[in-house]
Amino acid sequence: MTDFLQNCIDGVMFGSGYALLALGFTLVFGVMKRLNLSFGPSIMLGAYAGTWVYLNFSQNVLLVVLVTVMITVAVGIYVERLCFWAVRRDATIASMVSSFVIWMQLEEVAMHLLPERTYPFPAFFTSTVIDIGPFFVRSEHISMFLLTLVLLALLHLFLFRTRPGLAVRAVSDNPLASRYMGINSSNVLFLAFAVVSVLGGLAGFLILSADSQVTPFFGLWATFKGLIAMMLGGMGSLPGAILGGLLLGVVEANAFWYGGPVVRDISAYLLLFMMLIVRPGGLVGQRIVAQQQAAYERV
Amino acid sequence: MLNDYLLTVISNIGMISLIALSAYLLLISGEISFGQQAYFGISAYAGAIATTLWGWPLWLALLFGSSLAALAAGFVGLLTLRISGLYFSIATLAFAEMVRLSLFKLSYQLEIDGELIGPNGAEGFGEIRWIFDNDVSVLEYTLLIYGILLLVLFCLVLIERSRLGMIFRMLGQDPLLTRIQGLNPVRYKVTAAILAGFIAGLGGTLYAHSFTYIEPQIFNVMLGVHALAYGLIGGLGTVLGPLIGVAIDIGFLESVRVFQGYRMIVFGGLVAVMLIFMPRGILDENRVYRLKNLAQRWFRA
Amino acid sequence: MLKVDNIVTRYGAIEALKGLSLEAREGQVTCLLGPNGAGKTTTLFTIAGILNSHSGSITLEKDNLTNLSAPGIVRKGVVLVPENRLIFPQMSVEENLVAGAFARPRKDQPAINADLKGIYERFPPLKERSTQSGGTLSGGEQQMLAIGRALMARPKILMMDEPSLGLAPIIVEKIFDIISLLNKEGVSILLVEQNARMALKVAHHIYLLEGGKVTFNGNPQEMQQDEVIQRAYLGAGST
Ligand SMILES: Nc1ncnc2c1ncn2[C@@H]1O[C@H](COP(=O)(O)OP(=O)(O)OP(=O)(O)O)[C@@H](O)[C@H]1O
Ligand SMILES: [Mg+2]
Repeated sequence: MTDFLQNCIDGVMFGSGYALLALGFTLVFGVMKRLNLSFGPSIMLGAYAGTWVYLNFSQNVLLVVLVTVMITVAVGIYVERLCFWAVRRDATIASMVSSFVIWMQLEEVAMHLLPERTYPFPAFFTSTVIDIGPFFVRSEHISMFLLTLVLLALLHLFLFRTRPGLAVRAVSDNPLASRYMGINSSNVLFLAFAVVSVLGGLAGFLILSADSQVTPFFGLWATFKGLIAMMLGGMGSLPGAILGGLLLGVVEANAFWYGGPVVRDISAYLLLFMMLIVRPGGLVGQRIVAQQQAAYERV
Repeated sequence: MLNDYLLTVISNIGMISLIALSAYLLLISGEISFGQQAYFGISAYAGAIATTLWGWPLWLALLFGSSLAALAAGFVGLLTLRISGLYFSIATLAFAEMVRLSLFKLSYQLEIDGELIGPNGAEGFGEIRWIFDNDVSVLEYTLLIYGILLLVLFCLVLIERSRLGMIFRMLGQDPLLTRIQGLNPVRYKVTAAILAGFIAGLGGTLYAHSFTYIEPQIFNVMLGVHALAYGLIGGLGTVLGPLIGVAIDIGFLESVRVFQGYRMIVFGGLVAVMLIFMPRGILDENRVYRLKNLAQRWFRA
Repeated sequence: MLKVDNIVTRYGAIEALKGLSLEAREGQVTCLLGPNGAGKTTTLFTIAGILNSHSGSITLEKDNLTNLSAPGIVRKGVVLVPENRLIFPQMSVEENLVAGAFARPRKDQPAINADLKGIYERFPPLKERSTQSGGTLSGGEQQMLAIGRALMARPKILMMDEPSLGLAPIIVEKIFDIISLLNKEGVSILLVEQNARMALKVAHHIYLLEGGKVTFNGNPQEMQQDEVIQRAYLGAGST
């Protein structure tokens, strides 16, 4: 029982990182109804740039954060202009495939930047273990968890308390009507990608700091974890992304404890597969799916 | 003369074309599958086990592996009937990853000629010796691959011209209107899934025997998304589309030395720009129509 | 011939049809009129088997259609031309037409070929564009194609949802000419329209739908005599 609870604590801590990645997916999906497969690799490239600066120029961690986020945003905008803004709106598959080939491109660029398999990644604090009764938590997980809460609050404020946030929500609700209202959907897309990239860059930094290393596989990993967490929670829903991230974290932590790494990965995909078949809308998105279905069946 | 390297590239094109065709078949019926590599992999393992451990002839192993793949595809097709679009794509991805990860746990070894042979988790499955044991040269095996590819192409062309192929395309364009037309989408969706699984399966068994070594990692999502991308690059208007896509990627970029190390940077940029101007590929439906009309007029003149 | 008896159709908790009954008689044009959201499309979709009614029954001659699937209903001879999504845009005109006959048994092939010729004779613009992809046709031509495709199924009764939607007046006239011609040739028609004045010209019998129920039913003369309806649907002082 103690093991199980400890796993759940670990899961929630780590799941908050998944939740951040899922938020990125959900926001982009909400606005465009398209999937950005390059999300993880853009973060990876940002992290690589950060490590590169760390190894070659300066040990200043704040600078590493800044570089990581800035490059992630730059790459995110490159992806947005090339794969989403320029591609015809109804060509959803083309966008997806396009974001995939750009993924391969980003991976190769990263390999040219830093050709070895793993590189150290800096953190703000050295890791300590904090005891709480019979349980323990690692300090970097706590800071990750807290920062996720802060970012979440900021995102909420942005979406629900600012004018650009309102524009993002308007476009995600009805792109056509927003256009008639004079909202420039191209700007909104740009903005959404920038916000999402900042979020992604920070998430990447937090996750990699906790891991203290970065590999080229991080791109794939981040895309998949974010995607799974988003789908588990419910595509296009913000609270869903958080719930999905936490659920994924808890399930993975337990599966890892009782079965090892392969079982952990299988359990994540099995959970996703079952969820999609039984309840495609995820934990909270069933209403969204039902609406989409209804909107489609309307003639 | 054809050297062995060139032959390997050519046979590679042939085998990857099969999985590209399988993804294409689903694409035209309106489903984007991220998971065709699962059927490729299932058949690779099953076919290789059949020849190497059970001593079956290759043709039987091909049939066995592909049928198993088709069965799995039909099963997934049935389970995913209610979902479509992105939900379907992600579900197929999840299934394929489950298959790949399960292969890490698959260990089934028999002692053959004093050696333990067979799939062994992450170590993979080596010594798939059918080609050597039967003295098949690389050239002969390449011809076999292309024989099968041609057969598949022939069948696909027949299907495209038949009512079945048209119904696939109708489903791809408007499932609801297809139902209003008096057709049962369920039947055709599952049929498409089974056919696609079988075609990917053919590629899988051929692949295992060509490379003589397979491991779970080969059948990751990269393979599946590539398969998807090929159809989209070459064009969704004709079965030749996916082949063009494969030829551009493997035939051109992988073999030209200049691009070594920069292949994805070039290819990625190229494809991304191309998709802006041709979102349904080089040979999309409209271009195919126009070409057909042109050809008709040509013949009449 | 087609009898709808007291059907209730729901979208989740919303009751769109609240016990609706109507009858389309053989060889006649029956018209459903009503404001937006009255449930006209829902009625046609329920008859076509795309939506399931919660209670009530639908019969064609002696066949019970109530629990049949959409394909089964098409095979019984009830064919729908839907409202917005008329055609398969990436298939050629001819393929669109051929697709209309897919629900017919294969041994019908000679008859199907003959029907295709017949459609081309009836709609010459379609013949001219037979190899063009459907999406490149004009709105009126697409409507024509959709009607042609429905005819390929050899319907006993043809259901049309707002065929005049979004078309220029002169094209609307043409479409209505086609409707009355088809009817003269013996096709029974169940027509949904917003354009009350055009509908009155071709209809033998009219049902008025409001809020998921029939609120008036009678022939065009009776309708024109009813003052309330006259004001609401035809504009005061018309005819
Ligand atoms: N998928 C759906 N989910 C929920 N409510 C729906 C759905 N489709 C239709 N409705 C509701 O059912 C009612 C009837 O709709 P219907 O489309 O049948 O009207 P209509 O008479 O065809 O209108 P119009 O003239 O605008 O085409 C409307 O109130 C509509 O809002
Ligand atoms: Mg309607």
